[in-house]
Amino acid sequence: MTRPNTPDTLVSVKIGMIDTPFQPMLEPLSESQAWYSWAGYKSATSFRNVDLEYFAIRNQATVFDISPMCKYRINGPDALRVMDRLVVRDMKKVRAGRVAYVMWCDEDGMVIDDGTAFRFAEDEYVLFCQERTYKWLCEIAWGFDVTVQDWQSALCGLAVQGPCAFSVLKDAGFASIEDMKPFDLRQVEPGLWISRTGYTGDLGYEIVTFPDHAPPLWHRLREAGQRWGLIPIGYEALDIARIEAGFLAPGRDFQPSHKVSRLHRGRTPFELGFGWMVDLSTGHFNGRRALLEHAAKGPRYNLVRLDIEGDAPAGNAYVYAGKSFAGHVRSAAWSPTFKRNIALADLKAPWGKSRKKGLWAEIYVEQEGVWQKRNARTRVVEGPFMNIPRARMTPPQAY
Amino acid sequence: MTYDAIVIGAGHNGLTAAATLARKGARVCVVEKNAKPGGMALSGTLDGVEMPRMAHLVYNLNPRVLSELGLSNVNLKPLKTVSLSPDGNHVVLDGNRATRVDGTPHPEATAYAARYDDLKRFSALLAPLAERSAPGVSFGGRKLDKFSELMAAARIGLKLKLLGRRNMREFLRILLSNVHDYTLDELSDGPIAGAMAADAVKGSWSGPRSPGSVLSLMYRMSGSGPAHVMGGIGKLTEALAEAAQSQAAEIRSGAGVARIFVAEDRAVGVLLDDGSELRARTVLSSIGALQSLKLAGVEHFDAETVTRLRNIRTKGTAAKINLVLGGVPTFSGLPSDLLGARIVIAPGSTYVEHAFNPAKYGEMSEAPVLEIVMPGQIEPGTTQPDRHGMSILFHYAPHDLEGGWTDAAHARLLDITLATLDAYAPGLRQLVVASEVLSPARIEAETGAPGGHWHHGEWSTDQMLTTRPASGLAHYRFAVRGLYLCGAATHPGGDVTGLPGRNAALQLLKDGACA
Ligand SMILES: Cc1cc2nc3c(=O)[nH]c(=O)nc-3n(C[C@H](O)[C@H](O)[C@H](O)COP(=O)(O)OP(=O)(O)OC[C@H]3O[C@@H](n4cnc5c(N)ncnc54)[C@H](O)[C@@H]3O)c2cc1C
Repeated sequence: MTRPNTPDTLVSVKIGMIDTPFQPMLEPLSESQAWYSWAGYKSATSFRNVDLEYFAIRNQATVFDISPMCKYRINGPDALRVMDRLVVRDMKKVRAGRVAYVMWCDEDGMVIDDGTAFRFAEDEYVLFCQERTYKWLCEIAWGFDVTVQDWQSALCGLAVQGPCAFSVLKDAGFASIEDMKPFDLRQVEPGLWISRTGYTGDLGYEIVTFPDHAPPLWHRLREAGQRWGLIPIGYEALDIARIEAGFLAPGRDFQPSHKVSRLHRGRTPFELGFGWMVDLSTGHFNGRRALLEHAAKGPRYNLVRLDIEGDAPAGNAYVYAGKSFAGHVRSAAWSPTFKRNIALADLKAPWGKSRKKGLWAEIYVEQEGVWQKRNARTRVVEGPFMNIPRARMTPPQAY
Repeated sequence: MTYDAIVIGAGHNGLTAAATLARKGARVCVVEKNAKPGGMALSGTLDGVEMPRMAHLVYNLNPRVLSELGLSNVNLKPLKTVSLSPDGNHVVLDGNRATRVDGTPHPEATAYAARYDDLKRFSALLAPLAERSAPGVSFGGRKLDKFSELMAAARIGLKLKLLGRRNMREFLRILLSNVHDYTLDELSDGPIAGAMAADAVKGSWSGPRSPGSVLSLMYRMSGSGPAHVMGGIGKLTEALAEAAQSQAAEIRSGAGVARIFVAEDRAVGVLLDDGSELRARTVLSSIGALQSLKLAGVEHFDAETVTRLRNIRTKGTAAKINLVLGGVPTFSGLPSDLLGARIVIAPGSTYVEHAFNPAKYGEMSEAPVLEIVMPGQIEPGTTQPDRHGMSILFHYAPHDLEGGWTDAAHARLLDITLATLDAYAPGLRQLVVASEVLSPARIEAETGAPGGHWHHGEWSTDQMLTTRPASGLAHYRFAVRGLYLCGAATHPGGDVTGLPGRNAALQLLKDGACA
């Protein structure tokens, strides 16, 4: 007599994190074996040492696995119309072979997510973003002649960032990208696309390809990268670089509106400092009518860059204006390059815009089990924290 | 030239909106795809006999509509209701009175009167809600709107208080309950409960056990009771058309709208099927909500709105059968002077619920609920001796019938109807000279109503007031500036009430949209 449900007859269902196509090559390189789940994929927090990885971003070349990003392909005769309907920006200005940073809003004008739209062809886009958004895209696309596909696992990618990024790619056989300007996108080989984009504010490229191209691509880069100090990096180092560059992290710097159920937790693009992107003049897009009203009324909040006195880590600190509560720090980092304590903070209007004086952060620091409160003066920084000319130079210089 | 308003659809709501606007001096043009105005409230002819083509009675026509438009030539004749019983113990319902056919009180007369009076009282309470724009739910928004909405809500609250403690409790208890439990608390599961159940579910994808059916019964009872429009239901829409035309409104029949033009987020006119274009400062659409949206173009609406409108439930369940009989039928146990009543076959609430069951599985009722009207018996002298029209409402005939609405399916529906009638009026089948069957599919083809739905979208608690047609679209405003909805798809809903058309026109004027 057989007993069907003994442990050895049970089918084991694989649980835990999924490997990206690059993970088999990355995993042996990790000294710290520090992993976290990014959209269900095993992703590196760091490979060895965060400072080392950070300085490689600013001084050498780094590679970061962006495969877990959500990717959606929007394809068909109405692709442009659908993109224009989706995002707040005028997509007619973004030609094929270009990438645009975009935001999209719900009917109340609250940001659902931000991301990058890759225009692969006249009628074909791939949208890269953090939040799963397939259902939303289907709703946006209803009534239009396009297909929407979830390409999260259909494509994989690597971000190669740092002053030597171009040199690495050149040595890896991609010399033809020399004339690519920031936000250019090009198919450089069959099934392999390179864009001059990134999340570091430095010179950098993103390579997108199909999973079966992943191993050879990896080996080419490793080989070519040896001369240029190319190392793999984890999220922690990248996060410092992106705060320096002033890029937003959904869920940290703003709450994706589909994830909040409480009223007034969402933010408009104006409130996140992206009013320049909103084009109210070229026909309807999702949330336009609400944004018109917001534009007339003015922002309720301002997401601003702060320079905070001292070096106490200011994440989540309260921000006051004199005696009154003004808002919270969202992302914060000690900037190793600029030797400044920098942060992105969400302040109640008019703080941060028309009223900037007298702001200070209330920071709590723990030292050997004792909490101390530090009141640190802060200054609103106009424009980006950093401005690296090499990030924009075309052709890029070889370092 | 540029009109102040273009109204799409010359059903009674489109015409009411047009007449209301024209009386305030607006230059209005109504465009109707069919050859004749009237929509679902239309008189037609079958084999030479004039007959209400779809809607045949008014239940809750709003008196304000008639008085505001000065329609003194529309005469209503209140009808008694006869609810047939298979054992011949038919019931006559006349207001709150329930009698036998010989005029003696029905044993359940007292219980019925109590139910009827309560429902009447409660429906009067809700009437003010129907006569104005449904309150909008928005944050921020226009302050004045909100204030007047608050006041309206406060007035209803106050009236509720004035009803007294018992009534207030009772109102809140039954408001969202089902008509089956409500009636059977006090009445037997016979023809009185059956008639109430039938009135509650008419036109809906619901049975008497569905929650909210008490509310729909109150809605239907908010008028002066079932009544025949003298001269036929078409007289009402004709009078509305004349009221509009007498104020210089144009009515263009045979002019289907192919597109609503939107420029700079404003409705600016329409494109007709024949390729001609009309310009206007505002456009009011009396057709289904999603259909209106498609005419204007999906791209002008936020995806949330589109999704909500896509999700409106629009499965029609009512079919219409029109018959011409070669002689006056005889219903067993029914004196001939009652042939001019509204005759209902709904011999119990459970019977009505059972009639609904097949619809859930895409089948038509084998034992249907019928509502029968013989206009020639109501207005003697209007018929020829050998030609008697019989207008019959049939429930339930689901729009999504398994196998589709083929000729055979239509024939089957007719056969079921005649078999059902024959059981109460033996020999009726032999009297049939001519017949026509309008299934929800045919009603949809003829009127454009989504799913052939009586209300252009289910009338239920999740699709009423602020959420009719969908949340975020209060006050008849349809997202694009100058674009309004004015038909059954909007608050307060379908039936021949005139309210959606009237309210929408008043809202548009209040908004100063065509100024
Ligand atoms: C079979 C049946 C029986 C009914 N019986 C009763 C009853 O006895 N009592 C009662 O109170 N209610 C009854 N109803 C419900 C009632 O008739 C409707 O709720 C009401 O008439 C709807 O009126 P309306 O003006 O909003 O829409 P409709 O009467 O549907 O009018 C819409 C008009 O728009 C036109 N149209 C559609 N598309 C276009 C286009 N693209 N361009 C131009 N024109 C267009 C249509 O041809 C139509 O004339 C019945 C409904 C049905 C289906």
